[in-house]
Amino acid sequence: MYETIGIWVGALFTLAIYSFLYKENPIYRLAEHLVVGISAGYGMAITYQITVKPRLIDPLLSGDHWILLIPGILGILYITRFIPRISWLSRYPIGFYMGTSMGVYFPLTMKANVLRQLEGAMVPLYQSGMAWYEVTGNIIMILGTLAALIYFFFSKPHKGLFFGTGSKIGIWVIMVGFGATFGFTVMGRISLLIGRIQYLLGDWLHVIE
Amino acid sequence: MNIWGKMLNIDRRWIFLGIGVVSIVPFFINFGMPVRTTREVESIYEYVDELGSDNAIFISFDFAPGTQAENMPMSVAVMRHAFYNDVPVFMTANYPLHHGMMLAAMDYVFNPTTEGFYEDVDFEDWRELREAGVTAKDELVEAWENQGNQLPDGATGWVFEGRDYAALGYAPVFSLVILGLTVSIETQYPVDAHGNSTGEMPMLQEHKSLREVDLALTSSGSGACVWWVTFAREKIGLPIAFGLTAVMATDYFPYLQSGQVIGQMGGLRGAAEYEVLLAENGITPSTDKAFVGMDVQSAAHLLIILLIVMGNIAFFAGGFHKKTLLKGGR
Repeated sequence: MYETIGIWVGALFTLAIYSFLYKENPIYRLAEHLVVGISAGYGMAITYQITVKPRLIDPLLSGDHWILLIPGILGILYITRFIPRISWLSRYPIGFYMGTSMGVYFPLTMKANVLRQLEGAMVPLYQSGMAWYEVTGNIIMILGTLAALIYFFFSKPHKGLFFGTGSKIGIWVIMVGFGATFGFTVMGRISLLIGRIQYLLGDWLHVIE
Repeated sequence: MNIWGKMLNIDRRWIFLGIGVVSIVPFFINFGMPVRTTREVESIYEYVDELGSDNAIFISFDFAPGTQAENMPMSVAVMRHAFYNDVPVFMTANYPLHHGMMLAAMDYVFNPTTEGFYEDVDFEDWRELREAGVTAKDELVEAWENQGNQLPDGATGWVFEGRDYAALGYAPVFSLVILGLTVSIETQYPVDAHGNSTGEMPMLQEHKSLREVDLALTSSGSGACVWWVTFAREKIGLPIAFGLTAVMATDYFPYLQSGQVIGQMGGLRGAAEYEVLLAENGITPSTDKAFVGMDVQSAAHLLIILLIVMGNIAFFAGGFHKKTLLKGGR
């Protein structure tokens, strides 16, 4: 019974959202606002139910974990943002969070997103035993990376063989990247439509399996 | 305005209608377009297929309902593959909304209306056997069935909560949670999403931290997938697999190139490829929702290509590359 009601609500709100394709209307607006509101409410409820209560309130009430008062108070200080007279107190948890995040994130992020990527781009142009398509692929990747970097080098005018030609090749490489991203984006958007059609025709109307 | 001008200024609602029609028709007329598998998806499949009951994997549900159509099939496919091979699965979520996606995936895999579903046994229901020390999968199934429990028709097998899976769910500041998981799973998740004590779970006694886990799949609709690379791969060398939305796929290929991830499923297509591999190898009775959607993808892409070609023909044939007759000008 509840499942059926849920499916009907989902289907009607799906149609309400898609009504925007014809033109903007109050039903679409209602559905849009409900999505935002319900998402925030659901998030709050889940956060309380599976985080705040079992990890903070229950252990504190049991009287064994007084150390949790420190993060608890720091968390509450965030809310002082809404009281202008003491809003400066919110800087403490923000400062704590920023400081620890920076310390924890910086070395590992540098390693994962910069050093490893540099390492990944340092491939041999040719080695004995490499297939011709691997050699071609490596050459294109290295030249493409260099050309794209030249395009974003703004300290020198983009003129001459190195900077001029390099930046022109660079923009073509970037455009190829954008093209691939656009193709994947179209596929992604159609996938989302497919998901909704499967829901409407399958779960709601039962005309497909 | 001549015909070329009318073509270029066509009301966009006709295009929406066209996409709607070509997206619905293939559900009724099956074209049966083949789906060829790619190396980046095969490598995930092969890796999971090598694992057994002594191993364990993480599936992180890092997506919201907005990208459910793409991320859910790939999460479900890997989950079913792991259950088939008796590989324990830890399930996490990096945001409150993603927690609901984790529960929805479990509902789907355990639902008797799903072809080849798994029969779920709640943590409390097999307490006696657990306390008697029966935790090895084969012995557990035998003991469970000796108690008079029968596998329902159509079910692929039993899955025992705490032995075959642990629904850990959402925890705040998930990047730091991953870091904490490299030290201890139990300290990050003292209880699971159903309120069960994780310390009592046999799978946590065998796999105490990410260091004793063999793979993490992040099924992600956001850049949060990189957290797994940053905090698990780079810190302790945990193999990572990406399941991404199609929009994200091109941005994350460099992680594949650099060897930081073992494979990547990109969008519905990636999920469909995994479903094909599962069905071809008899792990699932047939392909699932992602594969069905690929015919629709092909039809919609054909229409979009046709519209792009027609638009370009009208643009040049109508001489619009020399004029400023388009709505809004140039």
